[in-house]
Amino acid sequence: MKILLMGHPNVGKSVFFNRLTGSNVIESNYPGTTVDYTKGYMVLENRDIEVIDVPGTFSLEPKDKAEEVAVKMLEEEKDAIVVCVIDASKIERGLYLTLEIIEKGYPVIIALNMWDVAKDKNIEIDVKNLEKILEVPVIPTVAISGEGIKEVVSRIKEAKPVKIKNIIKNVGG
Amino acid sequence: MLSIDERWDLIDKISKKTVKFGKYKHTLKDAVGELTVKPLTGIPVAVAVLYGFWSVFSSFAGFCTDGFLVKIFDGYWLPWLQNIFPGGLHNWLYNLMVDAGHIENGVLVPSDNCFEAFGVLTSGLFVPFGVVLPAVFIFYLMMTLLEDIGYLPRLAVLIDTVLHKIGLHGYAIVPTILGFGCNVPAVTATRILETKKQRFMMMTLLGIFIPCGAQLGIMEEVIPDTMGFVILYLLFGYFVFGFILNKIIPGKSPEILIDIPPYQRPTIHNVRKKVWIRVSGFLKVAVPFVILGCLIVGVMYITGFMDWLANALSPLLTNWFGVPKETVGPLVAAFMRKDLAVAQLSAIEMTKYQMITSVVLVSIYFPCLATFIMILKEGGKELLGSLAALVASVFIFGGLIHLIWILLGVA
Repeated sequence: MKILLMGHPNVGKSVFFNRLTGSNVIESNYPGTTVDYTKGYMVLENRDIEVIDVPGTFSLEPKDKAEEVAVKMLEEEKDAIVVCVIDASKIERGLYLTLEIIEKGYPVIIALNMWDVAKDKNIEIDVKNLEKILEVPVIPTVAISGEGIKEVVSRIKEAKPVKIKNIIKNVGG
Repeated sequence: MLSIDERWDLIDKISKKTVKFGKYKHTLKDAVGELTVKPLTGIPVAVAVLYGFWSVFSSFAGFCTDGFLVKIFDGYWLPWLQNIFPGGLHNWLYNLMVDAGHIENGVLVPSDNCFEAFGVLTSGLFVPFGVVLPAVFIFYLMMTLLEDIGYLPRLAVLIDTVLHKIGLHGYAIVPTILGFGCNVPAVTATRILETKKQRFMMMTLLGIFIPCGAQLGIMEEVIPDTMGFVILYLLFGYFVFGFILNKIIPGKSPEILIDIPPYQRPTIHNVRKKVWIRVSGFLKVAVPFVILGCLIVGVMYITGFMDWLANALSPLLTNWFGVPKETVGPLVAAFMRKDLAVAQLSAIEMTKYQMITSVVLVSIYFPCLATFIMILKEGGKELLGSLAALVASVFIFGGLIHLIWILLGVA
């Protein structure tokens, strides 16, 4: 089993990666810090699991070389679990990439990162309802301070592929 | 698979059911954010930030190197080695490892400082640890702070208009600033640029015109009075050649949209970790190449090959560039490391203006070996184009500075 960390540029994937694996990947506060993938290992239920920090991408249609690396990575790791890291204060465009990945049939778990920024901006997200609609785990996180990381780890095994039809049905008219 | 519109439609529905956007309060953070992006206030702030960066850099590096390390290396380390190492000035191993000596009034005399000695154990250690390490450390510390606060994308917005004139966009400032630390990671960072044209231009300009932290550190040490001119001349070259490359290279330079992240307080943990990764990365790349450079240059002197080369290239060096033929040694060293080359230049006797020219020459005439390998890896066959640009810029640009000196009447 492998875990891919995917999401838009500058949402905190590398911070997540370092927290999960104890690695030392460079993290910065600007988009485009990670331009190549990095692999690391975390222990889950006494097993070593490979975690891959993928460069940020806005969609699965690459616009630059770093995004090409991201899309290629996803295609190569057919049986990976994808942790979608979303900027909670810009949830809609994060969901776009997430839906694209779900449509490709990957099991997904969503981390609503930068939860503190969303709160500052007075954005309220009904996490329970979002989980029900998407049928995948959704966890608010603040990766920089470590909030929610443990929950992400403990719920990785709940990640599963979802039919897009179900999501359309769940959300209703 | 959904179409793009269907997908956005679905997201719309999902977000209507799950997300509530409250009234947005303008915070102090936002106000500061705007002040640093709007040109009227942003440009003075940017000038202040860069000037502050520069003052801290030069005073810290000077404090460590002149205050302590020079005294240790020249006062204790060099005399001790000269004393204890077997051989002497006429032994080739001694020349290679400790002191090559130099001719004074026809007599071979020992060196009295680690810039001139040029042995593996003297200059080979003094350059990376005595001069460059403090400079690289303080550079990375400050760059990391700027990065983690989130200032760089704002600088990118401010400089966007200028960089558009040379076919790049504001975000090219990120690889450029990284390049002032080390060109190797900067070349990798060009991946954030969209088109082949932009990546090629950026790599070429980085390799030729952006001096790295190691070189800045050593210039600060050996030519503090004139390094301002060197840097100005290099930045001038960055824009002029960018402008020309933009005109002659086919391809597009599209607009880019970037997110400006909110300002953040850097965490000590992350700053410490990042500075450590970068400084240790520097040592791993720099030390072997500096030592290798000392060895190669030393062997070339001992075998007499360097003198032959100096005489062969003498017409070009003295007539076209207006520098003494002895600069051929530093030019060879510059293949390995720019810091080593500048250190070696400082030991050659020449006028202030010849010094400026020769420092500019070692900066532009070839990217250091590590950068070259990186460009080869990232750019592949486009490297040939880079090399062509390189040769052209060395001749034109090196000749031009000589012409400026002639016109000023100082050459």
